[in-house]
Amino acid sequence: MGTARYITRRLIFAVCLIWGVSVILFAMINAIGNPIEILLAERPGITDEIIESVTKYYGLDGSVTDRYFTWLWAIVRLDFGTSIIYNLPVSEMLVIYGMETLKIQIPGIVIALFVSVMISVLAATRQYSKVDFGVIAGAMVGHSLPGFLLGIILILIFSYWLGILPSYGAYSTRNPVMGSEVIDGLWHMVLPVSMLVFFNTATLTLLLRSSLVDVLRQDFITAARASGLPERRVVFGHALRNAFIPVLTYLGILFGLMLGTAPVTETVFTWPGLGALYIMAIQQLDYPLIMGATMIITVMLVTATLLTDIAYVVIDPRIRLG
Amino acid sequence: MPSTLVCASDAPAMNTADPLLEVRDLKVHFFTRDGVVRAVDGVDYSVNRAETLGIVGESGSGKTVSSLAMLRLVPPPARTMGGQVLFEGEDLLAHTPKQMAALRGRRIAMIFQNPATSLNPIYSVGAQLSEILMWHEKASRRQAEERVVELLGLVGISDPGARLRQFPHELSGGMKQRVGIARALMCNPSLVLADEPTTALDVTIQAQILELLADLQARFRMSMVLVTHDMGVVARMATRITVMYAGRVCETADAGTIFSAPQHPYTRALLDSMPRIDQSYSGSARKTLPTIAGRPPNLLNPPPGCRFHDRCPEAMPECRKMMPVETTIAPGHSVSCLRRGSTGVAA
Repeated sequence: MGTARYITRRLIFAVCLIWGVSVILFAMINAIGNPIEILLAERPGITDEIIESVTKYYGLDGSVTDRYFTWLWAIVRLDFGTSIIYNLPVSEMLVIYGMETLKIQIPGIVIALFVSVMISVLAATRQYSKVDFGVIAGAMVGHSLPGFLLGIILILIFSYWLGILPSYGAYSTRNPVMGSEVIDGLWHMVLPVSMLVFFNTATLTLLLRSSLVDVLRQDFITAARASGLPERRVVFGHALRNAFIPVLTYLGILFGLMLGTAPVTETVFTWPGLGALYIMAIQQLDYPLIMGATMIITVMLVTATLLTDIAYVVIDPRIRLG
Repeated sequence: MPSTLVCASDAPAMNTADPLLEVRDLKVHFFTRDGVVRAVDGVDYSVNRAETLGIVGESGSGKTVSSLAMLRLVPPPARTMGGQVLFEGEDLLAHTPKQMAALRGRRIAMIFQNPATSLNPIYSVGAQLSEILMWHEKASRRQAEERVVELLGLVGISDPGARLRQFPHELSGGMKQRVGIARALMCNPSLVLADEPTTALDVTIQAQILELLADLQARFRMSMVLVTHDMGVVARMATRITVMYAGRVCETADAGTIFSAPQHPYTRALLDSMPRIDQSYSGSARKTLPTIAGRPPNLLNPPPGCRFHDRCPEAMPECRKMMPVETTIAPGHSVSCLRRGSTGVAA
């Protein structure tokens, strides 16, 4: 089967998957009951007539299927409705808050990837040395540390004790750092990105180091050395590319769940991103926002999985497309 | 392999030829949790120009490790503990890592036992072979690929231009080994180390690969070290043979002598335990195939004196106390056995 056909098939599958999630999401939200009733009930001066007319205004009096298809057609056109709490278009909010999330998540993954490659090579080429054991121990600790704990420790050291880095937010309300909005933004990113880099590096290093140790033992590595290739080329060209294959899945999940795993970091650093927004939307039952954010997270995860599958085909010629 | 022992060369070994490679008192030890394993413990042999030296021995006799040690590629926890590897007069053990890298693949190349695992699965045949030439000879990709196509044709791969783009998993085992041979020949090395090059292959393919190796060796007048446990393979390929046992050399002689007049009791026992095509092992007149009693020693704690004494039919009390020193008993024929006149050192 050709690559184009393979990708087409995966694409169709991805669309079906997203559609399936939309059905489940709608069914679950629907099961909570009429949002107008929940939001307005028990408030002074709200009568049944008012509830009925508002329900009608939002088109919530139709049958379940009618309402589902109305919603589906709307989200296909990227119209996620209007946030009940903020009274702003959800699509606009998803973009603004989503960007803030990506601003810390993407550097958090990309930097971690480079760091973990360097550390893994350092450890795996010195297997069972003190360096290697140190790396394993550090990665294990980092991997098992609760997410929020490190964030709080970082705030304690760098914001509270040393007072050099901001402990919350993405921008200063007044007096940006060094008078520049750009530097101010970057300055605020340091702590949350460090926290993400730390956790991602720990897990990626655990995976990559052991994979690399396995590959370095293979005959083709000895053969590459026996051919006179320089050690740098043997490790980075021949070993690392093979060692990376099992790590690819994890990397895909990491990218896919970028928005889904954001709440912890964003809560600790009061970061105005999609994670924090999502948690708040759930707490305040902002239906359009919950549904919009869930769909975006779904699309991200499915897209990342699709890209992972394609990356496998590119990196590993042994994969049979079928 | 056919069991008939037809020797590749019946001509007497030329002792006056200058050796291309001389291994002297090579020691490779494995530092394991249980102690030091002396896998190669004072091994000497030499390879003359344009000849094939067969190194035979059972698994664990140190034959593979000693050939890896020549390229300074013994994997940890093994370490080369001493000796000399003189290649064209230079001691490779004294080379810097950079000098070694420049020499590997260019002047000494290696053919590996398992073709399925010795090619990188994610690079095309063309990519991994041309890379060697691009590195060593600063060739352009096009020049390198031309040479790869030429070599693939030379090792008997049909349609080499198309094979260039194929990946190892798309090739059969015999084909992969041919690629492995082509890789070794990329830079016209003067010495090729072949580590059990046919062990992982089907019997029919084994014969083809051996024929190819013999042909290439003669054509390019290369020297070859052929490491194997198969007496049939050395009989067919080797000019001279070194027999190893438990990390030491028992006997070295030209191939004809090893098969017609073996001196060391281990060489004799090894040859006796080979099935013969003119001997029936079934039916009424059947004979049992002789075996060597006992097991190879544990090299963590090798027996004192001669390593073979506790399995040796000719052992005498001194063999337990004295380690035999390799002694030349006839031109080109040396043996390490107290029974054959070797002197012994207290062990």
